[in-house]
Amino acid sequence: MGFLSRLASLFGFKKNEANILVVGLDNSGKSTILNFLKQGDKNVPVDTVPTIGLNVEKMKAANIEITAFDMSGQGRYRPLWEQYYKECQGIIFVVDSSDKLRVVVARDELERMMKHPDLERRNVPVLFFANKMDKRDAVSSVKVSTLMGLNEVIHNKNWHIVASNAINGDGIDEGITWLADVMKSNMATKK
Amino acid sequence: MHMLRRDKKEEEEGGGNPFNNLDKTTVLQEARLFNETPINPRKCGMILTKLLYMINQGDQTIGSTEATEAFFAMTKLFQSKDPTLRRLMYMGIKDMSKIANDVIIVTSSLMKDMTGRDDQFRGPAIRALCSITDTTMLQSIERYMKQAIVDKCHAVASAALVSSLHLSKTSMDITKRWVNEAQEAVSSDNIMVQYHALGLLHHLRKHDKLAVTKLVSRFSKHSLKSPYAYCLLIRIASKLIEDEDTGTESQMYDFIESCLRHKSEIVIYEAAHAMINMKGVTAKELAPAVSVLQLFCSSPKPTLRFAAVRTLNRVAMKHPAAVTACNLDLENLITDSNRSIATLAITTLLKTGSESSVDRLMKQISSFMSEISDEFKIVVVQAIQSLCLKYPRKHGVMMNFLSSMLREEGGFEYKKAIVDSIITIIEDNSEAKEAGLAHLCEFIEDCEHTVLATRILHLLGREGPRTPTPSKYIRFIYNRVILENAAVRAAAVTAMAKFGAHCDELLDSCVVLLERCELDSDDEVRDRATFYVRVLKERQKALNSAYILNGLQVSVVGLERALHHYTLEPSDKPFDMKTVPLATQPITEQRTTPGKEPGDISTSKPSDKLASSRQDVYAEQLSAIPEFANLGPLFKSSSIPVELTESETEYVVRCIKHTYSRYMVFQFDCTNTLNDQVLEKVTVAMESSDGFDVMKYIPCASLPYDTPGTAYTLVRLPEDDPTNVTGTFSCTLKFIVKDCDPNTGEADDEGYDDEYVLEDVDVVVGDHVQKVMKPNFGASWDEVGPDNELEDTFALSTMKTLEDAVKNIIQYLGLQPCERSDKVPEGKSSHTLYLAGVFRGGHDALVRSKLAMTDSGVTMQLTVRSTDPNVSDVLVSAIG
Ligand SMILES: Nc1nc2c(ncn2[C@@H]2O[C@H](COP(=O)(O)OP(=O)(O)O)[C@@H](O)[C@H]2O)c(=O)[nH]1
Ligand SMILES: [Mg+2]
Repeated sequence: MGFLSRLASLFGFKKNEANILVVGLDNSGKSTILNFLKQGDKNVPVDTVPTIGLNVEKMKAANIEITAFDMSGQGRYRPLWEQYYKECQGIIFVVDSSDKLRVVVARDELERMMKHPDLERRNVPVLFFANKMDKRDAVSSVKVSTLMGLNEVIHNKNWHIVASNAINGDGIDEGITWLADVMKSNMATKK
Repeated sequence: MHMLRRDKKEEEEGGGNPFNNLDKTTVLQEARLFNETPINPRKCGMILTKLLYMINQGDQTIGSTEATEAFFAMTKLFQSKDPTLRRLMYMGIKDMSKIANDVIIVTSSLMKDMTGRDDQFRGPAIRALCSITDTTMLQSIERYMKQAIVDKCHAVASAALVSSLHLSKTSMDITKRWVNEAQEAVSSDNIMVQYHALGLLHHLRKHDKLAVTKLVSRFSKHSLKSPYAYCLLIRIASKLIEDEDTGTESQMYDFIESCLRHKSEIVIYEAAHAMINMKGVTAKELAPAVSVLQLFCSSPKPTLRFAAVRTLNRVAMKHPAAVTACNLDLENLITDSNRSIATLAITTLLKTGSESSVDRLMKQISSFMSEISDEFKIVVVQAIQSLCLKYPRKHGVMMNFLSSMLREEGGFEYKKAIVDSIITIIEDNSEAKEAGLAHLCEFIEDCEHTVLATRILHLLGREGPRTPTPSKYIRFIYNRVILENAAVRAAAVTAMAKFGAHCDELLDSCVVLLERCELDSDDEVRDRATFYVRVLKERQKALNSAYILNGLQVSVVGLERALHHYTLEPSDKPFDMKTVPLATQPITEQRTTPGKEPGDISTSKPSDKLASSRQDVYAEQLSAIPEFANLGPLFKSSSIPVELTESETEYVVRCIKHTYSRYMVFQFDCTNTLNDQVLEKVTVAMESSDGFDVMKYIPCASLPYDTPGTAYTLVRLPEDDPTNVTGTFSCTLKFIVKDCDPNTGEADDEGYDDEYVLEDVDVVVGDHVQKVMKPNFGASWDEVGPDNELEDTFALSTMKTLEDAVKNIIQYLGLQPCERSDKVPEGKSSHTLYLAGVFRGGHDALVRSKLAMTDSGVTMQLTVRSTDPNVSDVLVSAIG
């Protein structure tokens, strides 16, 4: 660590670094999205196995060093998300827009999350990916937004929703750029 | 000033260890740093080390909530690429996996690392993953484990193999499916992988003896590369030999022997070690193993010399002659600069050498006693003890040596070994008694171990009064009353009372001293003193014997049960001590087994805990059967079951005899060895012409193949003549047979009656008496008195030696030898045997048997005393 950056971190400015929490129900495409972000255009779709617990990924996106905590979405592991709320500067919530039946479940989880003491009063930006938009039975991002009740559930936080396709990367960059910008301005105003 | 002193002390204790005096709360607080980005690897590494140190020290328990918080903080470290920190983290996961909750959270992260590109993370990740995985989760990593076992990278393969072995403990049915991969890994060209693979392979097949046999014969031919694998194979082979009891005949033995010519030293040693530890191996068969160890004795490598001499030491315990060939080499080692080697060499020579070399060797060893650790000092002590037993005339030298060791610094185990040895020597050799007691008296003057002090006081109380000058011990004992803690004071009070009870000339002064203890601050000490003073003042020999010198000899568990029973049904009758079963194991007899090597894993410690005896267990089982509930207390159960069938017959029946005051219960443990039959309503019919009446049969309802079952027969003892106590029963096994399908065990509906003749069962005098140890036989002899004394002289013409006679009399009468009189001193032509016990009905039975050698065999004068005249009669006529 050089002298200047050490000085910077002493005063609380970190390099452009951020912890992002990636949540959402199982099979919604979280790991696939992160995989795309890591590999960029060289993306070779790997056959993802369901995540057990969590995976930690580091990557550079939109000019920012991101440490992403890719959480497992299976019911058994959802209660463990909260362990990572305190230290995150941004949240990505992935919804499978072709799985209308379970959107209500996702909404429940989101509500629970927003009420959690470690998040409730913090202005953490939340990015929603309405994923799998390529699927025939996928609904639009606006529809997802209504089904999830984003306007009602989220009060004091910046949020944004983008339709995405994790397989070919459509929408991913747009979403991440939005999230990075908000986080950067957050860091600047805080210090 | 106070502060300063404390700092100094801390410094001494800490010895510069920065992790000493860690505070749990502080460390856990510091662990929150893991949550911060960017990660500081150096700082986090330090904190993690502290955390690991604390967990492994284990003296500050970390609660599961705290541990879980620290664990989740630790998961943030997965983002760091710093190799040291990462590996510390893997260790952290392993160590915390048992105390934190939800540790499976890191499953995917570890799976990623174990399949990742960085080899140095892959092994540790596998080990960590296996420690957080349970049977239900194992399925999801199975595919990766199989791949890892056959991985090109040796560290990865080894980690996977060893982890699989650990997983087998809980998930054998899954790890079994990895046999093919393990098989492939055995042919690895890496010696560690080969070793670990063989270990796993054996573990997976452990319960299939045939498969293990095949494994050994296959790999003993196709030569393995890894010396470690060879060592393992030798161990597996010797276990097989032991289990199947095939000894040196076995093909396995040839393999082990051939390993003596292997090029690797470790394999040669393992083979020699295996041969030496084989059951029933003869001195001759040992020779090749001993010669390779002899070569090792002059190796420049200290480890080899140590291994060789340690093993030879062990051989010398059983086969001293086999080791004499190495005496010269051992002589060279007694000045070895490695003191452990020197100690073992000397103690080995002490076992193999002649009596004349003892003094020289003892001198040599005392020159460096102060340089060796307690563990090896104990080896020396044990060597001295066995020497004393071997050369009783040398006890003077040895005793002095032991007492000087007793005076030196040393821990509890060491001091205990010395005290044990002195006691063993005293008990074995009456000439050593006074010197030994004197040394022990000196020792308790400054002894910090309560256990040893009470033990010595107990011994002084038993042996001291019967020495020529008992008075000299009183001072040592009374000093304990003044200077020591309550437990020691209580023991001292008891010891003192024994002097008063046994020695008339000391009675008055002992009473005075004991009266002073009646004001002691401790309840137990006071109670004992008050009790003893009261008894002693009666000045009655019989009371002294019953309440001070010989004491109660009941089963403690039995006493507890009887008292409990008594309190359940309040009655005006006083509690009857005669209803309490006697202690079946004489409590005073507890000898330590000499000859344990340091570092022996297989120490079979005699458990000091108050365990229920075998008879207590029988009593419980029998009283649960309604028909036997009213027989009264169980007096005695025969100790060794009698076989009523020949070995390898259709049915196996063993008989255990239970004696009550007026009845006997015969317990028949039966096994059906035919897999195509089920027996039902199994009974053992008994017939006798000696006045015994069969009252009741309790059948065994069903006896399927290979599942033991029990039938009982209740017999009333002859009532008209109380001296009629022995007899013979002819026995027949009666039952209904039903044929059945050997595979399913399903039986036909129809059966037929059948019977099977068994061996006779004898009822002997020994079935009616219970052994009781009288620590002071003379006092009991006087206590019972000559009222019912009977005496007779016998010629035991079939006995060739006094030892023979002693052994047979003890066995026949079933009484307890006292005063160590079961040991006949060497070279004597006459001997007196003292036996004590209790006859059915609660009557004391004491026997004095004076034996003399004559030209025509042994003659015996038998004197019997009892509180019941019939008992004397029975015992005397038993011999006739
Ligand atoms: N068609 C389509 N499939 C997707 C998309 N994103 C993910 N998937 C598939 O959905 C499945 C679950 O993806 P995964 O990333 O493991 O979901 P996670 O449980 O949220 O991590 C995988 O088979 C992916 O290939 C998408 O945008 N379109
Ligand atoms: Mg996933």
